[in-house]
Amino acid sequence: MTNSRSKQTIHNPQSAIRNRLTRRQMLRNSALAAGVSSWMPAFANAFADDPKRQRHCILLWMTGGPSQIDTFDLKPEHANGGEFKPIDTNAPGLQISEHLPKLAKHGDQLAVIRSMSTKEGDHGRGTYLMRTGHQPGGVIQYPTLGSLISKQLAPPSAEIPDYISISPYRVFNRSAFQPGFLGPRHAALTVGAADSFQQQQADGYAQLGVDDLYAPDSVTADQVSARLELLASLQDGFVARHSTDSPIAHRTVYERAVRMMKSEAAQAFNLEKEADTVRDAYGRGRFGQGCLMARRLVERGVPFIEVSLGGLGGGALGWDTHQNNFARVKELSGELDSGWSMLMSELKDRGLLETTTIVWMGEFGRTPTIRRPGAAAGRDHYPAAWTTVLAGGGIKGGQAFGKTGADGVAVTEGKVDVPDMLATLCKALGIDPRDQNISELGRPIRIAEGKPIDEIVA
Amino acid sequence: MFARFVMSTSLVLSAFLFQPAAAQDTDDWRATSNRVDELLAAEWKVAAVEPGQPSSDSQFLRRAYLDLTGVIPSAGEVRVFLADDKPSKRVRLIEHLLAKPNHATHLANAWRDMMLPRSNNAQLRFGQTAVFDRWLRGHFVDNTPYDKIVRELLTAGGQANQNGPVLYYTSLELKPEKLAASTSEIFLGVQIQCAQCHDHPFDKWKQNDFWGYAAFFARLQRPAAGQRGLFQVVEGTAGEVKLPDSDEVVPPKFLDGKELSADSGIARRVQLADWITSPDNPYFARATVNRAWSILFGYGLVDPVDDFGEHNPPSHPQLLDELAADFVAHDFNIRRLFRVLANTRAYHLTSEVIAGESVDPRLFSRMSVKSLSPEQVYDCLSEAVRLREAVGNTGATSAFGRQLDQRKQAFLAKFEAPALRRTEFQSGIPQALTMMNGQFLVDATDVNRSDILAALIDASFFTNEERVEVLFLSTMARFPTKAERKRFVAYVETGGPTKDSKKALSDVLWALLNSSEFMLNH
Repeated sequence: MTNSRSKQTIHNPQSAIRNRLTRRQMLRNSALAAGVSSWMPAFANAFADDPKRQRHCILLWMTGGPSQIDTFDLKPEHANGGEFKPIDTNAPGLQISEHLPKLAKHGDQLAVIRSMSTKEGDHGRGTYLMRTGHQPGGVIQYPTLGSLISKQLAPPSAEIPDYISISPYRVFNRSAFQPGFLGPRHAALTVGAADSFQQQQADGYAQLGVDDLYAPDSVTADQVSARLELLASLQDGFVARHSTDSPIAHRTVYERAVRMMKSEAAQAFNLEKEADTVRDAYGRGRFGQGCLMARRLVERGVPFIEVSLGGLGGGALGWDTHQNNFARVKELSGELDSGWSMLMSELKDRGLLETTTIVWMGEFGRTPTIRRPGAAAGRDHYPAAWTTVLAGGGIKGGQAFGKTGADGVAVTEGKVDVPDMLATLCKALGIDPRDQNISELGRPIRIAEGKPIDEIVA
Repeated sequence: MFARFVMSTSLVLSAFLFQPAAAQDTDDWRATSNRVDELLAAEWKVAAVEPGQPSSDSQFLRRAYLDLTGVIPSAGEVRVFLADDKPSKRVRLIEHLLAKPNHATHLANAWRDMMLPRSNNAQLRFGQTAVFDRWLRGHFVDNTPYDKIVRELLTAGGQANQNGPVLYYTSLELKPEKLAASTSEIFLGVQIQCAQCHDHPFDKWKQNDFWGYAAFFARLQRPAAGQRGLFQVVEGTAGEVKLPDSDEVVPPKFLDGKELSADSGIARRVQLADWITSPDNPYFARATVNRAWSILFGYGLVDPVDDFGEHNPPSHPQLLDELAADFVAHDFNIRRLFRVLANTRAYHLTSEVIAGESVDPRLFSRMSVKSLSPEQVYDCLSEAVRLREAVGNTGATSAFGRQLDQRKQAFLAKFEAPALRRTEFQSGIPQALTMMNGQFLVDATDVNRSDILAALIDASFFTNEERVEVLFLSTMARFPTKAERKRFVAYVETGGPTKDSKKALSDVLWALLNSSEFMLNH
């Protein structure tokens, strides 16, 4: 388009597109030749040596703000430490909560950043800050992390959208989940949004389905095909008469969406293809099943997947443990432990962990001091000193970066703010954080404004 | 239910037929429209380009409805317009649309999107956009001269829930630098905010210019602490801006270097409003006519519309100058400006381009195909399927109204986007899935729940051919072509795969609503 200042990337040192294309074509060919699932691991291994393989990012988003002292930065020597004990991980010197025992076996993959320090202590504002790297309230609508990163890592043409969001709870700040100035084509495809109260399954597996992927039961499969034929006849006529960008783009998007409705690729979302033993090992809840879906999506080349933990369950907002902190964190840790550790194990088995970087974070941490001690003891919002975790591909695991003091109140070493953490994530993914997109105001905006932390990047 | 749309058709009919022919004939707007065409034609000659054919009546009707009122015409309105065989019908249509309440609402939406940050600040705004909208809409209903509207905004004070334009200040947190960047962009069409942090070697505006301009907003204050004060603005008598990371106070300075009034009793924002809206201001009128132009033509004469400058010259400098002068000479009359532009021959050109043809959209020798805003998509869907109370539903106090509103919110959440280029189709796979399979479309095309399908099926005197016709008129604003008529009528007659003509009719509606022709403004 002439004179268009639209959202192209100005400078992209990634020149792996040719390689990605080749790989994707091979994936597709293999998919046609072999069946569905058995070839995957072997195939992935064959490509383990290719440095320019498709990279992936999985964001484990902890809605509500998880308590760092009860998960990754324990203070057993101090009154602020509360009830939980630390345990050793498989990495010498790195300890985490006793309620994350399975994850502890992957300590060598974890870089625990214990020195996060941010300035937003409100759910909505903190969510926006952590998910975009920018303070809320400005004129520019910054894209959410998934839109930014999936745009950078996207293979040239994929059957599944590049950014999948599983069980998001977006009520705190909807714009923190949106593509902002990158536009709706970089928006997430959501799976089982948790925005409103939903009845938790008493037993059985949490049901996760792509929003609006299929026609309702009242419309038969034959009817769907007939509708699409009617539509195609209208499209052909109109696009022939209007052979310009928008009509062609509209038709192309529809063709891709229809391909997805019909395609084998959409089977990535069908967890019934997995053995019950595997499904159980991930945990039967939304988070566990979401992690399993994330693994299936990574196998199929999707660059960015986020799985939320801590939406509404039993009327309580996940990690927002103003009350009953210890009981609730223990319960949430159980879900987190099963889902996350299985995700790492299975990605590793398939040779995919080294190309998949995992981020664990919420909108802020929680107060070191325990409010209202007793059975209902809680911790409040606390952005001044808290923890996020980077893991897997491109990350130097087995370490804690930065420190808080004995009481956990302040960062004493290696303070990290959001931009630096996001820049570190970019570097781990092979993205130059200085790459720019053009905002709606015509201003070039970097993917992340900070500097990568060298000690964390492998 | 059928009676309802027969009645609405006849109401429209009478409103339309009795419209006084071109009420504004005493005015010289025709001369300006012709002059616009003359200047465009001169460029076509230079570029050796043949302009496209005039649009068909259907194409024009749908386009004019979308551009001037934001929503497509009803089937009844289409029939009346197509049946009218007087040559003046397009001129009368434009007058009819400019006088519609929807026109004011549509302009208010466009200006609100321009003035207020769209979604980031939802938390700051709360419910107060309604007051802001009422303020804007009231001015567009009254056709208040644009300089007066802008002056009112630039000098506004008080409580946001009582005085609409105050929200503009509170949503930008009263910050001089944000207000400077925003007002210069909206009212002058220039980007000065890059000079906020430091001088740029190639930029006309230096850091001192930026902060000199920002200084006009340095005295805004929130009078009371706490939640109430958050939404209140008063002009103080003290307050200055300083260069970032320095103690250097920057005094107020107009962007063209003009001196401030020596009378310090005149509030800074009043002085700024005087300067911005002055007939001599080289930016204000140009920026405004350029925005109106881009609403109708897809591209601005300067494009992007908020980036005037030597680095981004206008495609038609003389045309821009003359339009701006004409706008000033007619007291910043917005309605007249839209009348002038909508009556140009250029606005009536076809958007059709066949494969392989190369068309430079900046020559305006064809109409550009424009995308609909998310709200427009929703309103058009509602209009097409006759969802009651949906279009222009702002009150939303009844239980039913709230329910509708929720449905709208759920739909819009999927499509939310900043106001980007309208000539670019923005949506992706998730939005396409929502259109095909989402709850709104499922309800709208369900035989038992869809208002339009129920009405068509109830009308036993309709043939299937007439039913298909109504669906085409309601969605595409045109009759089906011969080939379409054959295909779609046969489909309904045989009942499609379900062997059920009612369900087949719902399939036809589904296909029409999902088509590019429905989803785009062409």
